[in-house]
Amino acid sequence: MKNLLRTLFIVLLLSSCSNDDSELVSYNNPEVSLNIPSDFPELNSSFYTNIPTEFGVELGKKLFTDVRLSADNTISCSSCHIQENAFADHNPKGIGIEGRIGLRNAPPVQNMAFMQVYNWDGNKLQLEDQPLVPIITHEEMDSSILEVIGKIENDESYIELFKNAFNGEGITADGIYNSIAQYEYTLISTNSKYDKVKRNEGETFTESEAQGFAVFQEKCISCHSTELFTDQTYRNIGFPINPDTEEAGRARITGSTEDYMSFRVPSLRNIEYTAPYGSFGQFATLEAVLNYLDNGVLEADNLDPILKDNDNRIPLTAQEKIDLIAFMKTLSDSEFVGLDD
Amino acid sequence: MKNLKNYILSAAVLVGFMSCSSDDNDAVANNVTLEFTNTFNNTTIVLGDATAADATENTSEMGQVHHFSELKYVVSNIRLIKADGTEIPYNVNDLDNGATVINQANTETLSYVLSDIPVGDYTEIKFGLGVKSDLNDLDQVSFPEFYDNAGSNETQMHWEWGTGYRFTKIEGFYDTDNKELSFHSGSTLEGEEGNYTQGVDAYRDITLSLPTTATVGNSAPTIAINANFDYLLSGENYTITLVTTEDITNNATPSAHTATEMMKFVENIGGNGTTDTTGMFSITSVEN
Repeated sequence: MKNLLRTLFIVLLLSSCSNDDSELVSYNNPEVSLNIPSDFPELNSSFYTNIPTEFGVELGKKLFTDVRLSADNTISCSSCHIQENAFADHNPKGIGIEGRIGLRNAPPVQNMAFMQVYNWDGNKLQLEDQPLVPIITHEEMDSSILEVIGKIENDESYIELFKNAFNGEGITADGIYNSIAQYEYTLISTNSKYDKVKRNEGETFTESEAQGFAVFQEKCISCHSTELFTDQTYRNIGFPINPDTEEAGRARITGSTEDYMSFRVPSLRNIEYTAPYGSFGQFATLEAVLNYLDNGVLEADNLDPILKDNDNRIPLTAQEKIDLIAFMKTLSDSEFVGLDD
Repeated sequence: MKNLKNYILSAAVLVGFMSCSSDDNDAVANNVTLEFTNTFNNTTIVLGDATAADATENTSEMGQVHHFSELKYVVSNIRLIKADGTEIPYNVNDLDNGATVINQANTETLSYVLSDIPVGDYTEIKFGLGVKSDLNDLDQVSFPEFYDNAGSNETQMHWEWGTGYRFTKIEGFYDTDNKELSFHSGSTLEGEEGNYTQGVDAYRDITLSLPTTATVGNSAPTIAINANFDYLLSGENYTITLVTTEDITNNATPSAHTATEMMKFVENIGGNGTTDTTGMFSITSVEN
């Protein structure tokens, strides 16, 4: 089949060469208009070389939800990245085919276009580099890119979509990676109550939410900064350590002991929908996270200075915890998770 | 990429025809066989489980006994250098035809035949321990054979989370109570060569002078290469005492699966890339 395609392609190429006025097939595939909030951080530069298009996004979404990406056709990206959970899930650690359990908590897929680093340890800097990882990882889909291509290459709807999405190109590995990234770029959450209050759209914080916002600005914002509520740095904040022998946090990438068990500060947007919390789901509830920070975290040589300077804790009163959680819930975007439809 | 490969193939076929048309019977090229022997000093390694009596035991400089149950590494980017300095690269950009996984458990893999090496006198060999960065992206489309071979259940040399190959995979046991020893290496580099944005490079370029000239002609030389895994813990660069999981320093289990302590082991077996470009490797003999 592939040879046939190649031959056809060459024939086409030759015949187009011999034509005087070569008729270029033009594919009508407009860019998708995205709502880019002006106060969000800058777009990842990869976005500009893989701008979401109508068919690219449609293709990406189809692939995102296609179980054929997994070896035994049982799970898709959307098995762990579920819209109603802000494209995360409720398992402590990711669960792949045959119930295999992964290393870490599945992160929410939201506002990816504005992130400079991906995953708990920042191993990927471009979204397009990410889809292959779950496809081939033993504890996730345990497949390979050629296996995936083999499963979908005779599917008419895919043939059509790839053609339209990538100017007549056939089904390629890069097309798979790029279209999934394009789809993910469109997953922008910016319509929470917090956003509406900020934009003066008629909503106001309750007293508790307003108190929580004040506590947040005093005790949380140094890490959970910007409109993404993460400064995208890596920090060891002394959370209970993942006993999995593969875990080293950011040090897995850098080799530096200073990064041992450091993780990227998670965004707080839609945090209400993404329990449990922590790199391997150590905490069942937001309350448990706050209690832990209040009681004191694990000592470590590279513990974040903010904690070190405060007796390894973030002191919080019972009322402050209630208010903080009320505030964090204003970051819930019910439209984004599909509860408004 | 496929097209490029076809192109190379066509070129190779063309060259093949051209050599067929030559009149004289003298060889223009011949094979060179690389034979790898994995040892602890002068003893060839026998693998074994925790309590295997016949497994080869080694004692590190710091007095820790250890033995291996699994021993694999990737060799790629092979170049033979002629006496006049000409470098003959062997499919250095083609993992399917220029890279291999040496697996101590599989005798066949210990010999690697370089085919069609041009006639000449060779005095030096260079190769990579691991896969150089620009090819280290688990690109199954470009190199399906190497990808499948490295990823098979027997080899397990895919480092999925890093989207690269494992360069070495050593499993074994240490101390008298046979604690687990587990060392995996691979690169975590991101970005383009010369402009890396993060990560560590575990690839090591090895340069070895041949004690006897390898003469490719009517003869097809065999170069015997020794990999002395005594260097893993007792190398030129680091003298390592293995410790347990509470302390991440010098830890071969578990954090050497990650980049954390990996580089000490990498430099011991693969050299530091500057003053030490042999690491654990040496040439035992050249047979013409």
